[in-house]
Amino acid sequence: MCKIPLAFIKKDFLIESSYKLAFLANIFGVLISLLGYFFIDKLFGRMLVSHLEEFGVNYFSYVLLGMAFFSYVGIGLGSFSSRIQSEQAQGTLEAILLTPAGIPAILLSMALWNLIFATMDMAIYIALGIFLFKIDFTHINILSAIVILFLTVASFSGLGIISAGFIMVFKRGNPLGWIINSVEGLIGGVYFPITVLPGWLQFLAKFFPITYAIRAMELSVYKGYSLAQLAKEAGFLLLFSALLIPLSIAFFKYSVKKAKTDGSLAQY
Amino acid sequence: MRPILEVDGLTKDFTPPLSFGKLIKFDLGRGIPVRALDDVSFRLERGKILAVLGPNGAGKTTLLKIIATLLLPDRGSVLLNGSGLEEKIKMSIGLVAEEERSFYWRLTGRQNLEFFAALYGLDRKTAGARIGELSELFAVDYAGKRFDSYSTGMKRRFALMRGLLHDPELLLLDEPTKSLDYAAALSLRGFIKETLVKARNKTAIIATHHMDEALDFCDLFMVLDKGRLRAFGTLEELRKQVGGPTATLGEVFVKLTAGS
Repeated sequence: MCKIPLAFIKKDFLIESSYKLAFLANIFGVLISLLGYFFIDKLFGRMLVSHLEEFGVNYFSYVLLGMAFFSYVGIGLGSFSSRIQSEQAQGTLEAILLTPAGIPAILLSMALWNLIFATMDMAIYIALGIFLFKIDFTHINILSAIVILFLTVASFSGLGIISAGFIMVFKRGNPLGWIINSVEGLIGGVYFPITVLPGWLQFLAKFFPITYAIRAMELSVYKGYSLAQLAKEAGFLLLFSALLIPLSIAFFKYSVKKAKTDGSLAQY
Repeated sequence: MRPILEVDGLTKDFTPPLSFGKLIKFDLGRGIPVRALDDVSFRLERGKILAVLGPNGAGKTTLLKIIATLLLPDRGSVLLNGSGLEEKIKMSIGLVAEEERSFYWRLTGRQNLEFFAALYGLDRKTAGARIGELSELFAVDYAGKRFDSYSTGMKRRFALMRGLLHDPELLLLDEPTKSLDYAAALSLRGFIKETLVKARNKTAIIATHHMDEALDFCDLFMVLDKGRLRAFGTLEELRKQVGGPTATLGEVFVKLTAGS
């Protein structure tokens, strides 16, 4: 049962580790982006105090967790489409689909390495936060944080698989990837609490799972909220997952069928 | 005894994608479809080697891809051992495509084979033994080197090894000796004919442009032209069809595809 996921993890690890500079460059990239927000906090942080009261932290602590978590969501769940695109471009997708491995197993396995990599990315953010910027994570409710992380991954997997379906058929120009990366980053509360936004944008934000995920994660990490206190956010994420995952797998299977009908499986 | 492969009425059209020029004129019609296969039917007995011959664009690769489940036909069916189930077909066929990009170039040949072996459901021990056996058969002693360091011929050998990893009953080969030197091509033909087909009772379908190669090791010949099956049978049967009792395979082919 684990044969296929393990084979993908091993293959992706071997490929990634053959690019030796990439890992160091990643740590450096995280550090630079954090430094930018660190100085923004110094300059404008006090203006956001009233919006951050609920979370009990300063702007830099808020944005560090938001970015760490959003990077996880972005990399982890854009991974379905990026892996499909990469296998198409390498010419290996047909060879994979020629094997009797089922589509759900292939999809899950393709995304695993990116999820592991995103977890490492998140760990870098947290480690830099603790050791370099002296952020206090001692109030964390670990159970709540893990459950929210799991529900977020599940609900975003649905969106990620739908994105992969678009890539399978259209090869480029995936509209969901754009929404996840741009719109959700802007109105989902990643870089600032959504209370900063005008009313109509706050209303719109309610329709995106990232809004619930970020809020729940900030509250579980900085305020130690229990799952009972986060019932509304967890409930929404559960609902998104229950709706999106079956829909996305059905959509992806349809996309593979469409690509097999058009003869475009190997095109990119 | 039931044939290993039963192909009935396979028809496949490819519709050209919507062009940008048409899109900006709001002309959403997708153009005239090109017929790649037109009502192709045949039966193949176990233990035979079938050569699929045809000019460029005749539908040879389309036929192999449909049999391999990588392409869906618009009409018609493919049964392998009496079953049309995709999972069963995938376990019973090995496709060696013309495309040499279908490997991970930053991995070694062995790592590539281990990855695909896992996808075919082989456990580590079985996969290791199988890779060892195939490396010996193909005289490969460079499986530990990175794939991007291989020559075209070396990559071709790995494509064949991957096609044989799960010990399939039916082997589909698209231009199998392309890019191989004369000795390697000869050795491969011998391997398919003697080891796979005669000794292990496997079946093979080979798409090729080389008449000599087809004549050298195939039992049956199929001529496709513009997607239509022009002839199917032994060389004798094909000669009868064109009315040339002493015609070479090349001459038969030219007569059957005249005008293409």
